[in-house]
Amino acid sequence: MKVSLLAGAALLLFTAGCNRLPGAPKAGVEEVPRPDSITSFKTLYGQNCAGCHGDNGRNGAAFALNNPVYQAWIDDASLRRIIENGEPGTQMPAFGTKAGGMLNDAQLDALVHGMRSEWSKSDAVSGQTLPPYAAAKTGDAAAGKAVYESACARCHSDAGNKITDPTYLALVNDQTLRTIIVAGRPDLGHPDWRSTASGHPLSDDDITNLTAWLASQRVSAPGQPYAEPQ
Amino acid sequence: MRWLTESYKWVERRVQLEAPVKDAMLHPVPKNTASWWYVFGSAAMTLLMLQVATGILLALIYVPSAGDAWNTLQLLNHEIPLGWFIRAMHGWGSNFMVAVVLIHMMQVFMFGAYKFPRELTWVVGVLLLLMTLGMAFTGQVLRFDQDAYWGLGIGASISSRVPIVGGPLVNLLLGGPIIGGATLTRFFALHVFVIPGALLAFVGLHVWMVLKLGVNEWPMPGRPVNRKTYDAEYHKLTHDDGIPFVPGALWKDLVFSAGIIVAVAVCAAIFGPYGPTGQPDPTIIQTAPKPDFFFLWIYAVLSYLPPSLETPFLLIAPVIGIGFLLVLPFWAGEGEKSWHRRPVAVIVLVTVAVLWGVFTHLATFTPWSPKMDAWSGSTVPAKIVHNLSPVERQGAVIFQSKQCRNCHSIGGVGGERGPALDNVASRMTEDQLIRQVIQGGGNMPAYGKNLAPSEVTALVRFLGTLHPAGQPAASDASRTAAAQFGAPSQTQSSSPTTSPQKTQ
Amino acid sequence: MTDIVKEEQHITHDDPKVVSRRWMLMKVGALMNAAAALVVAAPVIGYLLGPIRKKGGYNSWISLGDLKQFPVGETRLADYVNPYNHPWDGATAKTACWVRRIDKSKFQVFAINCAHLGCPVRWFPQSELFMCPCHGGAYYANGDRASGPPERGLFEYNYKVSGGELHIDAGQMPTLANEAKLKVLNNLNSDGKGCGSCAG
Repeated sequence: MKVSLLAGAALLLFTAGCNRLPGAPKAGVEEVPRPDSITSFKTLYGQNCAGCHGDNGRNGAAFALNNPVYQAWIDDASLRRIIENGEPGTQMPAFGTKAGGMLNDAQLDALVHGMRSEWSKSDAVSGQTLPPYAAAKTGDAAAGKAVYESACARCHSDAGNKITDPTYLALVNDQTLRTIIVAGRPDLGHPDWRSTASGHPLSDDDITNLTAWLASQRVSAPGQPYAEPQ
Repeated sequence: MRWLTESYKWVERRVQLEAPVKDAMLHPVPKNTASWWYVFGSAAMTLLMLQVATGILLALIYVPSAGDAWNTLQLLNHEIPLGWFIRAMHGWGSNFMVAVVLIHMMQVFMFGAYKFPRELTWVVGVLLLLMTLGMAFTGQVLRFDQDAYWGLGIGASISSRVPIVGGPLVNLLLGGPIIGGATLTRFFALHVFVIPGALLAFVGLHVWMVLKLGVNEWPMPGRPVNRKTYDAEYHKLTHDDGIPFVPGALWKDLVFSAGIIVAVAVCAAIFGPYGPTGQPDPTIIQTAPKPDFFFLWIYAVLSYLPPSLETPFLLIAPVIGIGFLLVLPFWAGEGEKSWHRRPVAVIVLVTVAVLWGVFTHLATFTPWSPKMDAWSGSTVPAKIVHNLSPVERQGAVIFQSKQCRNCHSIGGVGGERGPALDNVASRMTEDQLIRQVIQGGGNMPAYGKNLAPSEVTALVRFLGTLHPAGQPAASDASRTAAAQFGAPSQTQSSSPTTSPQKTQ
Repeated sequence: MTDIVKEEQHITHDDPKVVSRRWMLMKVGALMNAAAALVVAAPVIGYLLGPIRKKGGYNSWISLGDLKQFPVGETRLADYVNPYNHPWDGATAKTACWVRRIDKSKFQVFAINCAHLGCPVRWFPQSELFMCPCHGGAYYANGDRASGPPERGLFEYNYKVSGGELHIDAGQMPTLANEAKLKVLNNLNSDGKGCGSCAG
């Protein structure tokens, strides 16, 4: 009797401990969740964005999103619109289901919210006023050329950093140019609008004109790998 | 204890099993067969019993309905106490069973045990192997998840390749026009009634024949099998130098079987149940279906066959393979049993084993499949990004956004369908890169229609940077010459920053 | 052990008349069983072969919904509930397909199943390719084979536009033995691709 009692107790103890075995499935976690039910920012960003925008929003081939200046500059609606519908004239594709992508509304919100909470800083622009997100008027290309020469040419005339290459200009739209002028690429050591020109931040007009001048450098058939024969 | 003896006698008077059981237990076996090499058959049977037991336990909960099966697996994994452990035991038990059956078969093949008079034992064994694999496949279907769903799709697609009756075969396999409730119920019937019933009956026959014909003696070089003399030789062997099966040989079987069961339990406890993977919803297309371990080699073979050979291979190879196994004992029913005198048999076995291993290994990382998320999930290494010019960096973006990464890796990350591109510039010139991107070829789609000229240019400029630091990018010698001496008819590359001439 | 059976045999052993009569009766019994087996087997075989229907036997016109879901120039994922289904099919009653809208009235509706072994192909609008996750089959936007093991292009459904909705003729998993498009019904499909074995 005693033996069987002891054996029974041991068995109970054994079964109770079993759910702590390494092979036991984690409680409440589906082995493979539905792809449309994933709302973890880390997972969503890692699967959908990191390829171009880099791990943790830095050091990617495309624009760095983990940039407090950028996060301070762009509003939620614009950020969400770009993720959902893509950015025409660039390689940024549409990710929203309504636009043919794979992410639903909750997932788009999770991405916007995640970027805000992970990558924005309250003191990002330290008291300076950011130029507006969108250009308010058409720029003056001639004035922009002067801005380019005083603020950009220093670094960008060198062949390895050339931005007036028609191929490059064909692959970015005006808003992207404006974005990179304002927010820079801190991860690559490229300055934002405050320190591009020596002594003063670029004004809204400067940026609009500069963008207009860069846009005017586009050619009609860019990126032909070989020059026109004969 | 008198009452025990009395009741035994009472039962024995009625069932009369003592004599046959005694016969079976005490029948003499050749002394040298009491070897660790002879334990796999009994281990396979032990595993079959384990599978029956755990299978019945799972059937207490499992619902074979396409709409609910997956949910009942979730229930087993998460709600039913230790349901996960039973699932894991059944899953690992099946892995072990397939493995042990295969090892048993290899041993029998190597020991020449299929020769006279055990031809039929071998043939039944081949059928048992097929049934075991059938159980493994149908079992995978009952784990009604995405892999099971699309695995059925693969099964249907293979059946559809059969000439003339392909269409009806698909309907029969699926129980209707699509993979659905009717498909699952028929696989349930196969897995739970049809195949196990046949399996148990054939195992009975197999064991019966082993008892009647005797355990195959340890093969000795220079002692070939001869139909006329074998029976007398075997009789002499077992009676002059034999030992009773129990306990002489059985103790090793018992020890090994116990070890196998413990191994299954340990694997179950440590690695847990397999899946289920995502729910079987055909509208979820973000999935990369993959068969279970023992079918991975087929999965690999199917990806390497050229399209024109695929249907013939799928339909003819199994017939040849199974036919060979079935004919083997009649074709080589006599002669040497020892592997020392059967080099062809050894070569065949080693070749098959190595091929199986290679294909299985390949299928564990599927180098032929595009990595569907690589373009949006695998980053271009930061070191490369930092050294790119704006155009080249746009090229890197295009490399990602146009899904090149799905088939080509950089820094060891990305698809492996196409070659890794870490050093592509040192083996292809700019012209060759442009041609390859635009026209494709060598199993690469042509991107000419899908890329604007500026996109091709930026992409090629990016690719042009991918060469080892100390090694110049490949260049076209005629262009170098044209640049040096001037050739009016030749046109110049428009990419001074990356053109190969500069680096020389 | 006393063997009762043996003794009984002994009694009738050498009476040829009795033996032959019993043998004949046994044969009659066996024949009756064979007949009964046939009677039972016929319906059993009929039952087992029940799911077989001729090509297109399961098909009917199914709506994929409003045309507005499918912008011109794009390829979108759509799904429908298969006309042949049971309440316990759960999510498997649904089937997905890719709808490519070429212009206002011209479409291509591709099966989700790769022409190689039926895995779900995924559309990548950026590179304008369908890619298969299983063995790496790839197809161009118009469904033509681009690379990999498939021996043909994607399976294509017949479609028609009526009442502002897109309808396709579907109902069976497309395979090499049962291509989605059975015959060219729709004169809008001028190219007739993927129709190697079409009757009409």
